[in-house]
Amino acid sequence: MSASLVIDTSTSRTIVGLVKDEQIIWQGFHDGATDHGNAVALLAKQALAAGVNPDRVVVGMGPGPFTGLRVGISFARAFAAARNVPVIGICSLDAIVVDQGAYTVAIDARRKEIYWARYQHGVRVEGPAVNFPADVDGYIIDLYPNVLRLAQLSESQNVSEPFYLRRPDAVATADRPS
Amino acid sequence: MRGPLVLGIETSCDETAIGIVAGRTLLANVIASSVDEHARFGGVVPEIASRAHLEAIQPALKQALSDAGVTLRDIDAVAVTAGPGLIGALLVGTSTAAGLALGLGRPIYAVNHLAAHISVDYLTHTNAIEPTIALLVSGGHSSLLKIDDITHSITKLGATMDDAAGEAFDKIARILDLGFPGGPAIDRIARDGNSSAIDFPRGLTTSGDWKTRPYDFSFSGLKTAVARYLENTPAYAKADVAASFQEAVVDVLLQKALAACKDSGIDHLVIAGGVAANSRLRALAEQRCERAKIALAIPEPALCTDNGAMVASLGALMVLSGRPASPLAFDASSSMPVEAISL
Repeated sequence: MSASLVIDTSTSRTIVGLVKDEQIIWQGFHDGATDHGNAVALLAKQALAAGVNPDRVVVGMGPGPFTGLRVGISFARAFAAARNVPVIGICSLDAIVVDQGAYTVAIDARRKEIYWARYQHGVRVEGPAVNFPADVDGYIIDLYPNVLRLAQLSESQNVSEPFYLRRPDAVATADRPS
Repeated sequence: MRGPLVLGIETSCDETAIGIVAGRTLLANVIASSVDEHARFGGVVPEIASRAHLEAIQPALKQALSDAGVTLRDIDAVAVTAGPGLIGALLVGTSTAAGLALGLGRPIYAVNHLAAHISVDYLTHTNAIEPTIALLVSGGHSSLLKIDDITHSITKLGATMDDAAGEAFDKIARILDLGFPGGPAIDRIARDGNSSAIDFPRGLTTSGDWKTRPYDFSFSGLKTAVARYLENTPAYAKADVAASFQEAVVDVLLQKALAACKDSGIDHLVIAGGVAANSRLRALAEQRCERAKIALAIPEPALCTDNGAMVASLGALMVLSGRPASPLAFDASSSMPVEAISL
């Protein structure tokens, strides 16, 4: 018996849902690669208007473009702190639902690369990782994390840090060409 | 009655900061800085700063609540820096603020970082200071402002045409091999130097400049002059260079700030922002303001650099003066103009 406020901002789509006892009470999304900051608050407000008080917050921890990803995580952690409920982090790729035995899912990582992970019977067997598309076999890229799946995964998974998979771009002064 | 309990969040650059005020009383001011992680890059790396914010902000929040002896449920309003600053860094703060505001069912005040720097003075100086001239000097900004109402009406009189004052400190510290951030390093070594050893140029102070750009600043010529001096003077004395450079910056900042006071007939000056922690600026400002009979207010050094107390302070002033709250969803702005005090 639990109600989850579900948030994922690992893709260009801001996804918010409210799931109670395996049922989607409300879900909504907004597309826009730089809109997460605005969208997550508005969507969450709409989700709460459904009248169910969440007793946990479930949030996608990426991988995904960093700035948008951090918006969802920051918001989720703060909301959870305000309501004094736990926040549970999920690998966002795990929540992309594919009706196949073995498959690979991917999302755009920009810079001509993809974030990807490989699954067998819904269990991650490789990744998440970031590579050029040519280096990853037969992946599915046009799907988004699923609200219900995110909520379900929160029963068995809890990731505390975002999946960045890349170092920040910066060159130490000592290593710079003069 | 202590006034509204306001939580302030600041993440515009490399400081993850949470402040809590009750009206004009400071209750907590927690700052987690990622400055050490940036030092080897010679400046703030946006992605490193943003990652550090996400890591530090919840612990900083807990610490601030504990320091203030309050719980989140006690908070009356949430204030947050909406800009200007690094967009990825700002978004960690604004998203946290929105999550708190929605979760608590409390209003949110999305405020301007620059106005907040000035408003922090209200926590230490209890007299009404408006109208006042404000000199705002930091690593990212150098402006002269006329403040008629800190919650409502700020007029920009002038600003830097090129580098911010703090940026000039950083760059000169780098060529003098003093490390990053440059402000404190130059301040320290300059104490052993002679500030009149080298006559470095004061930008935009020719008689023509005083007519056309009386309140604007320029530090790029000074930077070049220091670099040229170092090239031409192999046996230079580092402390003298630092002291003379610092004097040139401080002198021109105060010349223009006092001119703004005189021209506008306002006998009150607030100096705020990270560079306001500079000991020479503080000392010379006191001397010159006393001579010119101008009341001077400079926040204590710990409140000059980026902090959450200043954001909470501005938020509380907005609550007290009945200003409308911001919408729950707003766009953080890397280039928010100083006249926009809140969104």
